[in-house]
Amino acid sequence: MSITIDRVCKRFGSFVALDDVSLDVPDGTLLALLGPSGSGKTTLLRIIAGLEIADSGRVSSDGQDITHQAARDRKVGFVFQHYALFRHMTVAENIAYGLKVRKAPRDEIKKRVDEMLELIRLDFLKNRYPGQLSGGQRQRVALARALAAQPSVLLLDEPFGALDAKVRQELRKWIRRLHDEIHVTSIFVTHDQEEAFEVADRVVVMNHARIEQVGTPSEVYAKPATAFVNQFLGNVSSFRGTVRDNRFRLGETSTYLPVREPIANGPAIACVRHHDIKVHAQSDGNGAFPARVRHVNTAGALVRCELERIDDGTRLAAEICQEHGVPASLRPGAQVFVELTNVRVFADAAS
Amino acid sequence: MNASPAPGGLRRAQADSVWVQRALTFVAVAVVGMLVVVPLINVFAQALADGIGTYWRNLFDDHDTFQSIKLTLIVAPTALALNLVFGVAAAWAIAKFTFPGRTLLTALIDLPFSVSPVVAGLIFVLIFGLQGYVGPFLRRDGYSVMPYLLSTLALAAFVLGYLALRPVHREARRGIWNRPFLTIGLGGALVFAAALLPQLYFDIWPHGKSLKIIFATPGLILATAFITFPFVARELIPVMEAIGVEEELAAVSLGANGWQLFWQITVPNVKWGLIYGIILCNARAMGEFGAVYVVSGHIAGQTDTMPLRIEKLFQEYNMPGSFAVASLLTLVALATLLAKIGLDRAEAARRRAAADESGELAA
Repeated sequence: MSITIDRVCKRFGSFVALDDVSLDVPDGTLLALLGPSGSGKTTLLRIIAGLEIADSGRVSSDGQDITHQAARDRKVGFVFQHYALFRHMTVAENIAYGLKVRKAPRDEIKKRVDEMLELIRLDFLKNRYPGQLSGGQRQRVALARALAAQPSVLLLDEPFGALDAKVRQELRKWIRRLHDEIHVTSIFVTHDQEEAFEVADRVVVMNHARIEQVGTPSEVYAKPATAFVNQFLGNVSSFRGTVRDNRFRLGETSTYLPVREPIANGPAIACVRHHDIKVHAQSDGNGAFPARVRHVNTAGALVRCELERIDDGTRLAAEICQEHGVPASLRPGAQVFVELTNVRVFADAAS
Repeated sequence: MNASPAPGGLRRAQADSVWVQRALTFVAVAVVGMLVVVPLINVFAQALADGIGTYWRNLFDDHDTFQSIKLTLIVAPTALALNLVFGVAAAWAIAKFTFPGRTLLTALIDLPFSVSPVVAGLIFVLIFGLQGYVGPFLRRDGYSVMPYLLSTLALAAFVLGYLALRPVHREARRGIWNRPFLTIGLGGALVFAAALLPQLYFDIWPHGKSLKIIFATPGLILATAFITFPFVARELIPVMEAIGVEEELAAVSLGANGWQLFWQITVPNVKWGLIYGIILCNARAMGEFGAVYVVSGHIAGQTDTMPLRIEKLFQEYNMPGSFAVASLLTLVALATLLAKIGLDRAEAARRRAAADESGELAA
């Protein structure tokens, strides 16, 4: 089922959680709402579920207005961050609950519960209580419970947030495979960009109650629409400066960088991913500027070094592939020259 | 367990010397023995002093004593039922919502704990007694309030029903749900009139008949309910606060309605707290003396509850009779204690089992 959010606003007291948000979720997609905490992503999810009601705007599914429909009539499956399993019911009873309250025939409930247990591969635990399960198992039971009543939309609030790193990895892959099998329109909330990129078909990046960008993971990564998106996705160093005639002047220096997508003259921010920051022992005169090495970490496939600009003391970081060769002069305290490649320049709205 | 020294001769830093431990243990055991165990045994010894036959006759052949047992079995369950409804409602309101006056309500729930029972009894005498505010009227023509009382209950049910059924979300309110003041005002007046007029027209209630509150069962129930009010709410509030609303939201998203939500999710979750509260509330209700003493008037065979009967028999130097009734209350107390221990054990065992198995599986 497709979901359409149309100009939705939501406030909690003086805090604006959603500010004029519009979004289309096509049928069958697995969509990630990605953003820092407080960006409004969970509120948006709860509005779709009917657990919160928008102050203004419309929510519709398959073209039908469901803005004021009660949560229990929406046929959504909701997976809570801390699972919210019914602690006094066994795993099987938890999964059966959505069918039970809708008064499904008993043998149908049993059949469906067995199907779901097989899907999550926990049939051997069906008579256990939630308190007797591990985090990853609870998460899968919560998912089975949400899916049992065959919802038209599956909503997941930080589904991997409370799990340790290894279980999280496994569950991500599992959810992706599960979605490829059952194709139910799914939306999940996360603050982890890696997770969003690995699992989702489409990513919605949110910040300060607004949507910054919508696109496939590769689109969002390759063409970030705003400085925020660029900074939020991956390790980025930012540089203040000014744009004049499609040339970016770094601070007050005489370093100029080309602007690839034309923007208006004025204050701007240049964002560079850490692996696009090249460190040279000597200046080759090609837009490089001097910096001092603060710290070098050579553990791992990438050498990470922290640098400090000579001109204004701001910090930046570079990641260098071990096999591409690391300059011998890369020691703390040494002066090096920094070249920025693949620079993205955005108008600086703040100043 | 904590009193024994740590194994292997290791002494923990905070452990006191063996002599201090022994002295403290001795003092504690001696005090409990003197003040609790010896009197407890004495109650049964005195009650059975003249043999089991006399004990039985003292309880069930003495008309006034038997009436007091029956009265307690009416007053305590009624007060308990009232407090169950009030307690669950109050705990629900305090644990799930924030509203103006929430702190005040929390404090007021505890009031009966801090007010002397005698004062509580006097409050009711001052209101309903003959020298009280409404007492003279109730004595003259008490039953004339009944139609109004019942109509008010119908009105309250109507208002509560309206508020409960009103859609939560502003935009989903249509028609009468959009006009609360008009509906409650006009509809309430209609409901009130519909309940009142037939009662007046058919003259259901007697005229000029006094309605006794004080020195009668209603007063006993009121006083007992007042004294035992905190038990259920006090047990429920922390449990409800700890459990939070997520499971209920999950149930709603799975399609549960309010009724299913309450009986299938909320009640099972607070079950132990509720049972605990009921047991304590019942024990206190059966044993209540002070407030009941003031409002009862000691009419033998009519307004004497068991504790009052015990005192009266004692004053009449009927020791075996007095202690026979006392032994019944003591048995209630012991049963309460056992039930409480049993519940604590069951809960602890359940937790331990859950923790063990989850630890096993997570490992």
